[in-house]
Amino acid sequence: MSSKSKGLRGRISTLTAALALSALALTGCAPAEEAADYGELNIQLSWIKNSEFSGAYFAVENGYYTEAGFSKVNLIAGPAATEAEVLSGNALVGIANPISTAPVILNEDAPLKIIGTTYQKNPFTILSLKEGANIATIDDLIGKRIGVQAGPNETLFDALLKANGIDASKVTKVPVQYDPAPLVNREVDGFLAYVTNESFVVEDQGYEVTNLLFADNGLPFVTESFVVTQESIDTKREALKAFLKATIRGWKDAIADPDGGADLALNTYGKDLNLNADKEYYQSKTQNEILVQTEETAANGLFTISDEMIALNLATLKSAGYTITADQLFDMSLLAEVYEENPDLKG
Amino acid sequence: MNTLSKRLLKTTSNTLISLVVVAVLWLFSLWALDVTPYIGKNPIDVFNFLFNSETAAENRTLIFSALNQTMLDASIGFGFGMLFATLVSVLFTLSKGIEQALMPIAMLLRSVPLIAMAPIIILIFGRAELTVAVMGAIVVLFPALVNIVFGLRSVTPAMYDLAKVYGANKLTILRTVAFPSSLPSFFAAVKISVPGAITGALLVEWLATGSGIGYGIVSAVGRAKANEVWAYVVVITLVSILLYNIVALIEESVLARFGFAASNS
Repeated sequence: MSSKSKGLRGRISTLTAALALSALALTGCAPAEEAADYGELNIQLSWIKNSEFSGAYFAVENGYYTEAGFSKVNLIAGPAATEAEVLSGNALVGIANPISTAPVILNEDAPLKIIGTTYQKNPFTILSLKEGANIATIDDLIGKRIGVQAGPNETLFDALLKANGIDASKVTKVPVQYDPAPLVNREVDGFLAYVTNESFVVEDQGYEVTNLLFADNGLPFVTESFVVTQESIDTKREALKAFLKATIRGWKDAIADPDGGADLALNTYGKDLNLNADKEYYQSKTQNEILVQTEETAANGLFTISDEMIALNLATLKSAGYTITADQLFDMSLLAEVYEENPDLKG
Repeated sequence: MNTLSKRLLKTTSNTLISLVVVAVLWLFSLWALDVTPYIGKNPIDVFNFLFNSETAAENRTLIFSALNQTMLDASIGFGFGMLFATLVSVLFTLSKGIEQALMPIAMLLRSVPLIAMAPIIILIFGRAELTVAVMGAIVVLFPALVNIVFGLRSVTPAMYDLAKVYGANKLTILRTVAFPSSLPSFFAAVKISVPGAITGALLVEWLATGSGIGYGIVSAVGRAKANEVWAYVVVITLVSILLYNIVALIEESVLARFGFAASNS
């Protein structure tokens, strides 16, 4: 991926860039005001296109990414290998969390950094049916079959067990996808989920549910965090700041209009997913109220992670067996610069 | 003995050629596609991961226990698939009616992608060995069936008449004439089915059981454990190539014993 790249892909992308430039020159449709052109923006989402990403939908719809200098935005649906997508350069920004990213930095020597976070708290839960396994305490997990999505969520689940001193061999991990159907038809006893998402979906189907929240069981951490490579920070700093700025503007719209955010998920971005409308409205509203906005963001702006919060995340990681420093995992300087240059974004 | 050692030599050199080709393709792709070294590992990285790092012993345990599981799953699928394929082929050969009735079902199993049927199969058969057997057998069945039926039908009219003249009935003809003359097709079926069974095992592990290499790869990709991913790919590829060549060796020996000209494989 170096600038002196000899690879085919390097050659092809140079050629494409040259063609795109000449096309721009020919049609004369270069951006009127800003000269910045950061090309296409690929964002690897952590989940399917539901209300979780309403801020990004607003930023696309209202042209914030275009104004910031991106020619096109591709929101790539998850669940996916977010860290690997970012490392391979397929996505400039990936949406993940410190618990899934830290092991990649530590074990694979991957130069990844978190430059901001959407959720100040994490809504991860082990969801179970009240009349089924009814997993209410951490010890109830022992001997159960838990549906866990392959990939970053497995790291979260391993961390939950480790932080609570439960031997991983005492719990059976079953591969599932994003649909909580295996829980309802009793293939699994518990299901790794968001309390703002699947928990509501299953409840809406008429089941009483029990939630075992990660945040209450030794794993408080931020999530929906923006993961990028150190190389991008070094060479594409302005593009990343443009991304942050546009996304902040999108989330401000999402906070102002939670129903609108849910509508975008239901009717546009997640149209073919058959999303549950009640849940989308509920999730969009709830996440804004308790996850995206806190005292911290009211004071210092959206996406910020306070020093205390960073310390809490590092402590959580440590209890899960990952010793990492703040500098290895977080780089909040880009967001600080964005707010410095655009003080009006804070309010 | 002399011919056997010749064949062994040929198999070994075939295996080596395959390995060299794979390694060259591997290195060339990494170079040509300009893959970042955090994701694209080369053969030396994989060797170090398995034999030359602090955690090499743990890594080996991880990779090889997954390989064992996958081989077990693949053998279950292969066994059931070949068994059914052989039984059904015999039925088809004995009765045109049965063939006309059952062939569409076999076609259906083949034409609906397994990945689309997987949720239903899992709901019916659960997430244990039974599903491994069913899904593995589905992958193996059809190509094996077509080959074996073709082989059993390859009896020439002259041979058929001769057997008839000596008073053989349908079953005797099948046993004494059709089976031996179907051997080349049977081995062709086995050669297709070995990699097929491995694919089937990987698929069932990924979608249903959550164990073995099929799941290990998906899980490790998701967690950006690049060395582990490549190690899985390397061991399963090596085993596939090795098994294929072993089958080829057995094929040549058996066919030579039955007087067929050695097939060029």
